[in-house]
Amino acid sequence: MIPDTVYGAILLSVIDFFLSFLVISGIGFVLALFPYLNQLGTIDEKKLREGGH
Amino acid sequence: MFDQVLFFFNALLQQTGAANFTWGNLVMIIIGGTMIYLAIAKHYEPLLLIGIGFSCIVANVPGPPDVPGGPPVSALLYVVKEGGLFHYAYEGVAKLIIPPLIFLGVGAMTDFGPMIANPKLVILGAGAHLGIFVALILAKLVGFTISEAGAIGIIGGADGPMAIFVTVKLAPHLLGPISVAAYSYMALMPMIQPPVMKMLTTPAERRIEMAQIRKVSKLEKIIFPAVIAIIVNLFFPPVAPLITMLMLGNLLKEVGVTERLAKTAGGPLMNMIIMILTVAIGSTMAADKFLTWDTILIVGLGLLAFLFGTASGVVTAKIMNLFLRNKINPLIGSAGIASVPIAARVSHIVANQANPHNHLIFHAMGPNLAGVFGTAISGGIMLALLGVQ
Repeated sequence: MIPDTVYGAILLSVIDFFLSFLVISGIGFVLALFPYLNQLGTIDEKKLREGGH
Repeated sequence: MFDQVLFFFNALLQQTGAANFTWGNLVMIIIGGTMIYLAIAKHYEPLLLIGIGFSCIVANVPGPPDVPGGPPVSALLYVVKEGGLFHYAYEGVAKLIIPPLIFLGVGAMTDFGPMIANPKLVILGAGAHLGIFVALILAKLVGFTISEAGAIGIIGGADGPMAIFVTVKLAPHLLGPISVAAYSYMALMPMIQPPVMKMLTTPAERRIEMAQIRKVSKLEKIIFPAVIAIIVNLFFPPVAPLITMLMLGNLLKEVGVTERLAKTAGGPLMNMIIMILTVAIGSTMAADKFLTWDTILIVGLGLLAFLFGTASGVVTAKIMNLFLRNKINPLIGSAGIASVPIAARVSHIVANQANPHNHLIFHAMGPNLAGVFGTAISGGIMLALLGVQ
């Protein structure tokens, strides 16, 4: 897909760097929504531990 | 009589490795010894450097040739030939069994709370990866193929298992030097990063104290691994095996009902994997394979990748400060390079030197953890663009 040349290396780098920023920003956006999950309720860690094993 | 004794001694010598000892072996033994010294005396990542240094020394003690007149077999004996323990250690790395298991263990030991708590810092996980692309372009300029250049570039992601994973996919013949460069530089980050971090920041910036971040609930921590696993498997299938295992390990830790499994993954299993991994990496450092022009170039490019990655992380943090009301300490930018938790620790130490009241470790862990995803995303995009599954 990418030519095996210096131009190809630059192209690969630019696309990869730009997309990495975009995707990680997307993950950041998803994480920014995480506090809303707490409206679903809370988990009692003590009960959680007792329930196992 | 004397001639006969001399003849027998000579014949005996030829059956040992001593006759095949080269200056290259000596250089590599010194390098291995230096690694062990740094681990013991300076405490530079002893878990990694002791095993790598020791197996580097052993791999450079030549044995007799396999066939009369043939080459000495040290590297062959330990790396290529079946039967040696080092061979199976190496195969575990080359067949990509070890890297996902490392990620499982890392996930089981890691609290992703700092990353979830401060999502805006996640961007530093991408910002600190300029080094990957600088090394990639330079590697192409000096004559490597684009696949080789990509594998060399990923050293700048400062993520050992990911570097191994991408290298096996793109340029398996470079696995030895690339894994050595990646792990050695990760271990030497306390030496490599601070000069760059200090050069790019003012004393006032280094003294910035950051506001305490919010507490992340258990519910968020349990949902996080599933969400990330879905995103990565959906958009980045080439690197999904690693991130999926990272998230599985983390889920085992966070759910609270699989404490035994989490402790095993992050404890005894991880310890065993580290021993196997370091032996596998060190055993690739035989002089005849390692002291080549290509290796020297790879090691040099790897260093540049780390330097540029550190610099770009700090610069990205400074750019973010132009838009943020509550300023962040730009030193946490360098932690975005990954290498958990070494880079975060370096950020904390440098900040602490400038301001003894500044405890940056928790803040730096956010970008540090994001750096793991940043490297995975860069690697995944690279594999996809180069048409590798």
